[in-house]
Amino acid sequence: MSEEQLAVFIGSGLRLAMPLVLAATGELLSQRAGVLNLSLDGLMLTAAFAAATVSWATGNPLVGLLVGVLASLVLAYLQAVLSVTLRANQLVVGIGFNILALGATTFLYREIFGALSRDTIPGFGKVHIPLLSELPLVGPALFQQTALTYVGLILVVVTWWLLARTSFGLSVRAVGEDPRAADQAGISVTRTRYLGVLYAGAFAGLGGAFMSVADSNTFTEGMTRGAGYLAITAVIFGGWSPFKTLAACLLFGFATALQFLVPAMKLDVPVALLLMLPYVLALFAVAGFVSTGRQPAALTLPFMRGT
Amino acid sequence: MVSAESWLKIAVPVVAVVAALVLGLLIIAVSGSSVVEAMAAFWDGMAGSVYNVGASINRAISLGFIGLGFIFANRANLTNVGGEGQLAVGGMFATAMALHGAGSLPMGLAFVVPLLAGAAAGALWGGLAGILKARRNTNEVISTLLLTFIALPLVYWSVESVNLLRKPMTEVSSLPESAEIPDPTKLPMLVPSDPTSPLHIGLVLFVIAVVATWLVLTRSALGLRLRAVGLNELASRRAGIGTGRLIVASMAVAGGLGGLAGAIMIQGQAFYLTNNFSSGYGFDGLVVGLLARGSAVGVVLGALLFGFLRSGSIAMEITAQVPSAVVLISQGLIVIALAGSAMLVERKAAR
Repeated sequence: MSEEQLAVFIGSGLRLAMPLVLAATGELLSQRAGVLNLSLDGLMLTAAFAAATVSWATGNPLVGLLVGVLASLVLAYLQAVLSVTLRANQLVVGIGFNILALGATTFLYREIFGALSRDTIPGFGKVHIPLLSELPLVGPALFQQTALTYVGLILVVVTWWLLARTSFGLSVRAVGEDPRAADQAGISVTRTRYLGVLYAGAFAGLGGAFMSVADSNTFTEGMTRGAGYLAITAVIFGGWSPFKTLAACLLFGFATALQFLVPAMKLDVPVALLLMLPYVLALFAVAGFVSTGRQPAALTLPFMRGT
Repeated sequence: MVSAESWLKIAVPVVAVVAALVLGLLIIAVSGSSVVEAMAAFWDGMAGSVYNVGASINRAISLGFIGLGFIFANRANLTNVGGEGQLAVGGMFATAMALHGAGSLPMGLAFVVPLLAGAAAGALWGGLAGILKARRNTNEVISTLLLTFIALPLVYWSVESVNLLRKPMTEVSSLPESAEIPDPTKLPMLVPSDPTSPLHIGLVLFVIAVVATWLVLTRSALGLRLRAVGLNELASRRAGIGTGRLIVASMAVAGGLGGLAGAIMIQGQAFYLTNNFSSGYGFDGLVVGLLARGSAVGVVLGALLFGFLRSGSIAMEITAQVPSAVVLISQGLIVIALAGSAMLVERKAAR
C-alpha cells in the first residue's frame, strides 16, 4: 500500500463514517429516552433528497442542508405522534416510514430531475484547517474535510455533555430507564420523548444531507442503502455511550472504505465480501460478542399513566 | 352477528388500504399522468390475461409464505423482518441444488430436493436470529435485518463468480446470472393443458402451508405454548416451557417458509438465479404479515392484494410510464396507518 493510498483510505473512511456518526449520535439520545427510531434510514433519505433538491434549486448548499433537516424533523414529529402519543409499535412505524420515504423520494426525484438525473448539485467545499492540514499523510486526509464533518464531531461532544451533565440529560435517562418513577418525580415522559425523537430527527437530517450535499454532490434513488440501520446498530454496538458509538461508526466507515482500497491495491478479494463486512461486524456487535453496554430498560416500551 | 371488535378489525385495514390507494391515484393525477391510462395498464397487468392472473397469483404465493412465517414467529412475540434475506438464501441454495446434483434424481425428487434445500437454508438464516435471541438476548429485528444485508451480497457474489453459480462464460452471453436449472427440477404445472397458465404446484404447497399454520397456531398445544412465550417469557419458563428452544424453532419455521418462497420463485417461474431476484418480495411479505394481525386467512387476503398490486404496478411503469414508487408510497402509508390505529382497535376491543 502506497502512502497516497493510505491517505485516501483514511480520508474516505472518515467521510463515509460521518453520516453514521451524525445519525447515530442523535439516535443515541432518543434511545436513552426509550424510543427506538427504526425510521432513521427513511429520515436520512428524505433529508438527503430535500437537501439535494433545494441546493440544486437555490444554488446554496446551506439552504439545502437546513431544508433537509427541517424535512427530517417534520417526519420525526409525525413519528413521535405515532409512537409516543398513540403508542404504536415503534418498529412497525419505523418500517412504514422507511417504505414511504423510499417511495416518495424515488417518485419525486423522477418527477423533478427526470432527464437531468446524474447532474451534480452544489455542495459544500472542503475547509483547510491551518497548520494541521499541512501535516504529512494525515493532514490532507483528516483536516481537509467539509465543515459539516467538524461540526458533527463537535456535536458528539455536545450530546455527551447534554446527557451526562445537564438536567435535561438526567430527565432523558430517567425516562428511558423507569418512566413511571420519572413521571412521579414530575418529569413529563411525553415531552422528554418527543424532544428525544426530534433530536434524533434533526441529527438524521444532518447525516442524510451530508450524503447528498457534503459528500457525493448528487442524489441517487435509495442512496442511504441501509445507513440508518447501520447507525442504529452503531448505537447498540457502542453500548449507548456517545464516544463508543462514535468509535463504532468510524469502524463501519473504514470497513466501507475498504471497498475502494482493496481493488486499488489489486487484491483479489470478492467485492461482495467487502459489501457485507460492516453488517457482519455489526451482527457480532449486537450479538454482544464485542460490547457489553446495557440497553435502556424502557427502550421501545410505550408509556401510559396509571396502568 | 358480528361483534364491534371483529367489525373494527376488518374495517380498519380495509379503510386504510382503500384510502392509501386513492391517495396513490391522486398522486398520479397531480403528477400529470393520465389516471385512466395508468389504471388501464394497472388492470391489464393484474388480470388482463390468463397469464397475468397466474403471474399475480404466483407473486402472491411468494408474499404469502413470508407472511405466514411472520405471523408464526409473531405468535411468540418475535418480529421477523428478515424475510428478504431468508428468501434470498432459499433461492440461492435451491438453485445450487438444482444445478449440481438434483437434476438427475429419479422422478419427483428432482424438484423436491431443491425445495427442501431452499427451505433448510432459510430456516438456518432465520434460526440464527432465533439462537442469538435465545442465547444472547439480541433484538431479532436488528439481527434479521443485518442478516438480510449479509444475504443479499451473498447472492450477488454467487452470480458474479464462475466458481460459484455464475453460468460458464461464453462469447454470446456473459450476464452475471446462473445457468438455467434442468427441466426435472422445475415445478410441475397445475394446468398442463393450458401452456399460457404459469400456475405451478407452489399454489398447492401454499394452501397446505396456510392450513397447517392455521391448525398449529389456533388448534395445537404448540400454538398455545408459542402464545405463552410471547405473552410472558419468564412465566412460561417457570411453567416448564422450553422457551429458548421455542424461540429458535419459531424463527427457524419463519425463515424456512421464507426460504421455501425463494426456492419456489426460482423453480416455479424464474428458472435461473439473478442478483436482486428477491427485489423487495421479503419486505412486501413482511407488510402482508403485519396486515394480517396474526390470522392465516388475513395473510392470504393480504398476499393476494399485494401480489396483484405488484403485477399492476410493474405494468403501469412499463406501459403508462408511471413510476411504481407510487405503489411504494401507498404501501408505506398502509403500514403507518395500521400501526397507528392498532391501539385504537385494541382499546375499543377491551371495552
